[in-house]
Amino acid sequence: MMEMLLHPMILPITLPVVAGVVCLLLPRQLHKVRDIIAVGASAVTLLLALRLLVALRGGGLYTFAACPLVNLRLDALSGFVMVAIALFGVLSALYSLGYMAGRERLNEYYAYLLWTVGISCGAVLANHFLLLLIFWGMLGVTLYLMIGMGGSKASAAAKKTFIVIGGSDCLLMLGIAIAWHVTGRMLMDEVTLTMTRKLNVLAFLCFTVAALAKAGAMPFHSWVPDCGEKAPLSVSAFLPASLDKLLGIYLLARTMHGLFVASYALRVLLMLVGAATVMCAVMMALVQHDLRRLLAYHAVSQVGYMVLGIASGTAIGMAGGLFHMLNHAMYKSSLFMCAGSVERQAGTCDLDRLGGLGRAMPITFVSCLVAAMAISGVPPLNGFASKWMVYQGIIEAGNQSGPWVIWIVAAMFGSALTLASFVKILHAVFLRKPPAEAERRNVSEVGFSMWFPTAFLGLMCLVFGVFWKRLPYTFLVEPAVVGEVTIPGLWWGAPAALVLLAGIAAGLVIYALTTARKPRVCATYIGGELMEAADIPGEARSDSRDVEVSGVDFYRTIETMAPFRGFYAAARQKAFDIYDVGTKILFYFVDILRAAHTGLLPTYLTWLVAGMLFVVWWLVRAGGG
Amino acid sequence: MMHLVPLFMAVPLAGAFLAALPNRRLPWLPDLLGNLAMTWLTVTALSMVGHSGLCAVGDWGYLGIVLRLDGLAVLMLIAINGIGLCATLFSVSYMDRYTARGRYYSLFLLMVAGMNGVVLTGDLFNLYVFMEIAAIASYALVAFGCQHEELEAAFKYAVLGSVASALILIAVAILYGLTGNLNMTAVAVRLAADTDQPATLLAVGLLLCGFALKAALVPFHAWLPDAHPSAPAPVSAMLSGVVIKALGIYVLCRLVFNVFGATAPLLLVLRTLGTVSMIVGVMLAIGQWDMKRLFAYHSISQIGYVALGIGLGTPLGIAGGLFHMVNHSVFKSLLFLNAGAVEYAAGTRDLKRLGGLRGQMPVTANTSLVASMSIAGIPPFNGFWSKLLIVMACIEAGQNWLAVAAIAVSLLTLASFLKVQRYAFFEAAKSALTGVKEVPVLMRTAMLILAALCILTSLAVLAGWREPLLIGWAADALRGGVFGGVQ
Repeated sequence: MMEMLLHPMILPITLPVVAGVVCLLLPRQLHKVRDIIAVGASAVTLLLALRLLVALRGGGLYTFAACPLVNLRLDALSGFVMVAIALFGVLSALYSLGYMAGRERLNEYYAYLLWTVGISCGAVLANHFLLLLIFWGMLGVTLYLMIGMGGSKASAAAKKTFIVIGGSDCLLMLGIAIAWHVTGRMLMDEVTLTMTRKLNVLAFLCFTVAALAKAGAMPFHSWVPDCGEKAPLSVSAFLPASLDKLLGIYLLARTMHGLFVASYALRVLLMLVGAATVMCAVMMALVQHDLRRLLAYHAVSQVGYMVLGIASGTAIGMAGGLFHMLNHAMYKSSLFMCAGSVERQAGTCDLDRLGGLGRAMPITFVSCLVAAMAISGVPPLNGFASKWMVYQGIIEAGNQSGPWVIWIVAAMFGSALTLASFVKILHAVFLRKPPAEAERRNVSEVGFSMWFPTAFLGLMCLVFGVFWKRLPYTFLVEPAVVGEVTIPGLWWGAPAALVLLAGIAAGLVIYALTTARKPRVCATYIGGELMEAADIPGEARSDSRDVEVSGVDFYRTIETMAPFRGFYAAARQKAFDIYDVGTKILFYFVDILRAAHTGLLPTYLTWLVAGMLFVVWWLVRAGGG
Repeated sequence: MMHLVPLFMAVPLAGAFLAALPNRRLPWLPDLLGNLAMTWLTVTALSMVGHSGLCAVGDWGYLGIVLRLDGLAVLMLIAINGIGLCATLFSVSYMDRYTARGRYYSLFLLMVAGMNGVVLTGDLFNLYVFMEIAAIASYALVAFGCQHEELEAAFKYAVLGSVASALILIAVAILYGLTGNLNMTAVAVRLAADTDQPATLLAVGLLLCGFALKAALVPFHAWLPDAHPSAPAPVSAMLSGVVIKALGIYVLCRLVFNVFGATAPLLLVLRTLGTVSMIVGVMLAIGQWDMKRLFAYHSISQIGYVALGIGLGTPLGIAGGLFHMVNHSVFKSLLFLNAGAVEYAAGTRDLKRLGGLRGQMPVTANTSLVASMSIAGIPPFNGFWSKLLIVMACIEAGQNWLAVAAIAVSLLTLASFLKVQRYAFFEAAKSALTGVKEVPVLMRTAMLILAALCILTSLAVLAGWREPLLIGWAADALRGGVFGGVQ
């Protein structure tokens, strides 16, 4: 038994779970010990995961079977995802030391965090369908409890999240039951279903919905913005931003390449989901006023790229999708951590009330800048490398995946709008002159445990972008892809970075030599609009502020623009929120049923007699026939 | 072991008599008697695992009572008496709110005696008698608070229950007329030789409807949402946890599988009633704001799962249905005890007036989280396993739409229990609830035992994955068909 528990494939699951129990049971006075255990256990888990990945090099495969249910399988894909999970576990634990300091019930918090790490490792290692289902379902509970750490204001978001995620878990259960019935097998590596029967299509849809809901793709996305807004930001940085993407896309990759052979129609459907997710979510992100909610909509939007890549059905598309999953986790975690640092230091995440933090929080600013460029796909950062691979995948698939021009236009347009909304963030939070009330706050940079994970992830974005081929692609992504990857549009990250740097340097030189000396004064235009005095809360309009953009005003015009007005109005009515729409439909029927239950005894007696007559009539008819 | 079997009725009957004796000197005596009796019954029920056989009480020809112990009966005995023990433990502190402790325990033990009798008897008329003992005791217990609402609920329960009992009695009379016998095995043998008579079908239909009312399957469910919330919490736990199963589902299974033979039309009726109950119950539950009423509607829905699983008639379906029945008795009684604890501490069970109890009542909050996750079918808790088995059995039997319905209901169950969690425990605390404290130790113990069982029963599945131990044995007793039971 002991030997089994210490097996290198079991240990990444059991170690964090046991450490979590220890954290939970420690007396409150030993909070230093608890902090050390939380960071230490997740760090050891990262080492264990790395050791497994290293052992796997050369295309190996490890399996472990203790009893029929406990059947684990480690291949390049699960190894890759597991390392990423453990990495984000360590960084989140470290970040939480600073961010969560001084809150209540921290023992529970670290326990949930460690359990999440362990259970996630289990979910990606599981080879038995039921084991996958168990781990998958337990992740829903830990997610619920972690969002619940946000206190009473997060309770609605926690409930909604768990209903959406739990519902998708139920579908996964149905999908597994069908797969088991059709093939008679419970081991994932023994199952491959083709779309020859309606039942198989249903199973495919069940698996896909489970994956998409976890990853937060539309139309199952609506929990992500709520959760991002209400949960503690360290939780947002860990779960919806990184871990749930890793798991959801992992399951999608397994579903598309392995468990099922998707048909043309289903792939087109998925491409449509991907393209719609990219576009719609980024449109929603553009008009948000809350930093957290804005970032959360981007966490939805970016899933679209991963779905597009994986659903394209080409090897390079899958490589791009997986690579984008990793990249997204890095920059989005970093961005949420930046938001957390801003919230902790400035006391708010409302874009209207922030400003001028670039000088006060330089490390956070630079990390945020790098991550923002990465998410917008600016070369030479990692976001560009993976988006570029996704584009190539879509082009290579061509008509195999439907109207590919539409997909690629949606993807590129989404990228541009992403940049636009991050310009808004950078401007509103860090660069613009702060509103009067913000000037009174004394803001300083956050402590080491908070800036280090943020900056580390920003640095990784740069490294993975410049050396994408030499580091992440060769070691992590390529072995995990099914099939041979050919990269037609090869992109040399390092030389391009040098050229870009040279370009920036040349620009600076020209600036220093000419314009800086004799500035030109002219009326302010922005996007063709003449600026008026900005409307800054708590301040009278004055001409002295007429050249300032409040950071949110400009983006408001989109909401009233002709083709989008209807879209935003519908979104405000929550017409795209599957949870809200579902609730409305459900309660229509519930009200009918409740109206029938009058509480009057004669009514109930009538039901009894009617039911009895029906049953007897049916039995006589069936027996006589 | 067989000689101990009659004591399953005798001990609680004796306890009921002693507890009802007038006694002013020793106010704690009824508590002690109730708990001792239930402890003894639980231990004895557990020791019965693996035993089966017949026991004739009094050998007077027609008048003797034949008791029959098999896998299903043992499973039911363990559930009834185990849950009963937790309920009596909980009652010790909880019943401070009421007067007439002696009568409470007396009625409680009568109800237990009736249920044990129903489960053990091998005779149709005795079945009726024991059922009436349990049912009448439960009418009285529902009215125990003697307030306006309790009396109204008990009245409705009694009227509808009596109509059902009348149907059952008529059906027993018809069967006696047809076969000249009341012994279940003998009736089964005679019916197997001579099926499809209209009179038999009428008797079968009446029995099905009568026991469907006791099991609260839609459209015979209307009494339950009034009756279950009105009783004191430990009694609600018993009513929802075991009474609807022992008097309803258990007898339906016994009759369909071991007496009439599981024919396709009978199974279809069971399945249909189950599916409709499952859907209607959860839809009515989701809009409720009274904790106990919400739980009560869920009992209808969950009993629907059980009937659906058993109505599939396949080995996997029967095992899933029986397992869900056991699991439901664990988590549903825990939920009612949680509601009782909340009411005990906060003075209300209206979700709109509760909030923030997670900080003040950690044991209640966490045990109710466990129970909520169990009933919603979230792994690794027990409800997950039985729902999984039922869904797999539906797919295996080609009933894909029923599987989809089971999945959808599972989602709605989760939604309504998250509502309870949110409004009772997670939301901001109301100012009226500032002084609320955790409940006394015995109440906590009862809740902790049941919460532990929510996890332990699922470990039992893992341990015997291929051949679920107790459940498999109970399912065999049903699958044995007409002659397969203990002869």
